[in-house]
Amino acid sequence: MKRTSMVEYFHGETFIISSVLQIGDSREITSRSRVLAVQRQYELFFGSEGEGIFPTFTMPIPKLQANRNRISVQTLHQSPIISVRSIRVLAASTSAVVHIGSTSTVNAEARIKHIRQLAPNFSASSMKNTQTPTPIVKDEK
Amino acid sequence: MNYTVINRDVHVGDIHVIAVTSSAIFLIGDADVINIASAFDTPPESLIIGPFVPLIQRGEQ
Repeated sequence: MKRTSMVEYFHGETFIISSVLQIGDSREITSRSRVLAVQRQYELFFGSEGEGIFPTFTMPIPKLQANRNRISVQTLHQSPIISVRSIRVLAASTSAVVHIGSTSTVNAEARIKHIRQLAPNFSASSMKNTQTPTPIVKDEK
Repeated sequence: MNYTVINRDVHVGDIHVIAVTSSAIFLIGDADVINIASAFDTPPESLIIGPFVPLIQRGEQ
């Protein structure tokens, strides 16, 4: 048996990018997020680039396999409720889950890769200049 | 191994969360198993100083 969650006041401001607000019990939660963040010195994007080539997104992440048969878990709920006066969540994003209620299995994974690309003539001395060098735009096709 | 958990009264006051993100979970309740993994990559090679060429595309490796 699972306990009952009681929340008197809840306020969630923003829920974006596949994030979930779940009120009530659930059985299984599986959430995945993959982020490829490319920051360039100049506003430039070539379209579909770098998808599915980085090991960050493909390598298997080893899972901790606790042998539950060897451990006998006994849970006694002396009080059948979990009570919270108020919750304020400013934001949930990128496959995050805000869950009021009980669940059984949670399986979540986040894979993030950041890339920063600077212009070749962008040296420490040129950083002092407020004037940025003209962008080198290569032919897209 | 024997493991006993006794859940007594839980009364929480005010919770203020700024952000829950990247497959994270904020749970008010019970759970049996929680398995969460994260791979975050910003190695030195991620800083590219050079001409603005597209990143390698699929099949061009």
